[in-house]
Amino acid sequence: MVIVDNLVKTYGSFRLDLSMEISDGAVTGIVGKNGAGKTTFIKALLGLIRPDEGRITINGREASMLTGREKASIGAALSESGFSAYLRVKDVTAILSKMYPTFDEEYFRKNCRAQGLPEDKRISEFSTGMKAKLRVLSAISHRAELLVMDEPTAGLDVQARNDILDLLRQYLQENENCSVLITSHISSDLESLCDDIYLIHDGKILLHEDTDVLLGSYAVLKVSEEAYEKLDKSYILAGRKEAFGYTCLTREKQFYAENYPGMVIENGSVDDLILLMTGGH
Amino acid sequence: MRGLIEKDLRLTFSRRQTLMIFLVMAVIMGGTMDGSFLVGYLTMLGTIIAVGTISYDEFDNGFAFLMTLPFERKTYVGEKYLFCLFMEAVSWCAGVLIYCIGGLIRHSGVNPVSELPMLLSLIPVLFLSVSVFIPLLLKYGSEKSRVALFLVFGLMALLVFGTKQVMSGQEQVLQGLVETLDALPEALVFLVITAVCGLLSFLSYLCSVRIMEKKEF
Repeated sequence: MVIVDNLVKTYGSFRLDLSMEISDGAVTGIVGKNGAGKTTFIKALLGLIRPDEGRITINGREASMLTGREKASIGAALSESGFSAYLRVKDVTAILSKMYPTFDEEYFRKNCRAQGLPEDKRISEFSTGMKAKLRVLSAISHRAELLVMDEPTAGLDVQARNDILDLLRQYLQENENCSVLITSHISSDLESLCDDIYLIHDGKILLHEDTDVLLGSYAVLKVSEEAYEKLDKSYILAGRKEAFGYTCLTREKQFYAENYPGMVIENGSVDDLILLMTGGH
Repeated sequence: MRGLIEKDLRLTFSRRQTLMIFLVMAVIMGGTMDGSFLVGYLTMLGTIIAVGTISYDEFDNGFAFLMTLPFERKTYVGEKYLFCLFMEAVSWCAGVLIYCIGGLIRHSGVNPVSELPMLLSLIPVLFLSVSVFIPLLLKYGSEKSRVALFLVFGLMALLVFGTKQVMSGQEQVLQGLVETLDALPEALVFLVITAVCGLLSFLSYLCSVRIMEKKEF
């Protein structure tokens, strides 16, 4: 579905440099700290910025050269951009129904009502959560084959986050062939949604792993300084000095569980991955 | 294109109060003023409102999302020119209507048929302002384009002043030119004005497409 081949984009001292592939029907997550390059990548994918080098293709077509008809198969929700705040939901409904031949007006209206988005209120009067819901609903209401979601849950309360994640889950259940690319710095969102996860930092991919492997095989070891000295570090990916000793990230949970009985071993999470891979030693 | 027109119409009608104020002002002017100034005034207001939709698109980083919707960048530009022309035509019609009704009420002897070529030529001439506004707004955004617009009009003023200086002492040449133009049939003048303005507007459209194709969001 999407092939990113040696994409390079430079802004001053920041350089985004990555390659990746998103298969048909896959839900791919991109995690990373603020400023890692997630939004820059999304913008390049959507043809909003031009790569300095490399290319991005969507179904074999250059991303920045997509025709209107080809763009109709993509649904995008950006973190800091949406429909004009002067419009109302009923305006958005009319606009989308003219923009997309496959726009499901009934589905959109029904979900707007379910999510508490009033038809006659200006978007400028919406809360942050309501705006985010409208952005996601606008992206998923025309049976898109590729969904691109940039931080759809950023800055939202737990209820709004869950509502949006439920909307996405429901959409994915009903559209199994849909590919999704979703960025977030909230790891739990991605753990429950994605088939595979890319960790990017300073514009580069630090790690790409299936979510099952990440949650099943990765672990965090908590060891004292003394134990750390004696530890076989062959399978340690990253570590960080703590008050009690060291916190280490490994992909071989089983190895340490078998060879170091009594060691504190916690299941890995995307948060641990971000913290240790991007801030450890 | 249909979706973009829908969006711009809805954005325009979201400013109902402003539109109503303009209309009331136009009606008052139509009822109290002689001359066709009202038609030009209303046509210009319609044009400014239409061009203003670009600022609405740009507001709050809206361009980024807008450009993910299913149309090409040149379609966006083309729609803006068409929408401005449409709004200009609608406000021109409203202006002519108020002008005629005002004339009838005041018994001022308004003859819209005889004035039609002059009134019609307002449309291409005022559309030239669209041809200046749109590329500037797309290139510099609504904030910076005000400065750019100031510079453009400053340059135009300098050009007029410079021409006046150069032509001083040669008033007879100018007088002759004016007399020659006056002697031409009004329909021909209208056609020439429309052709020249059309050509300049097309060049402006090409510039705007180029600006938009290069723009990053």
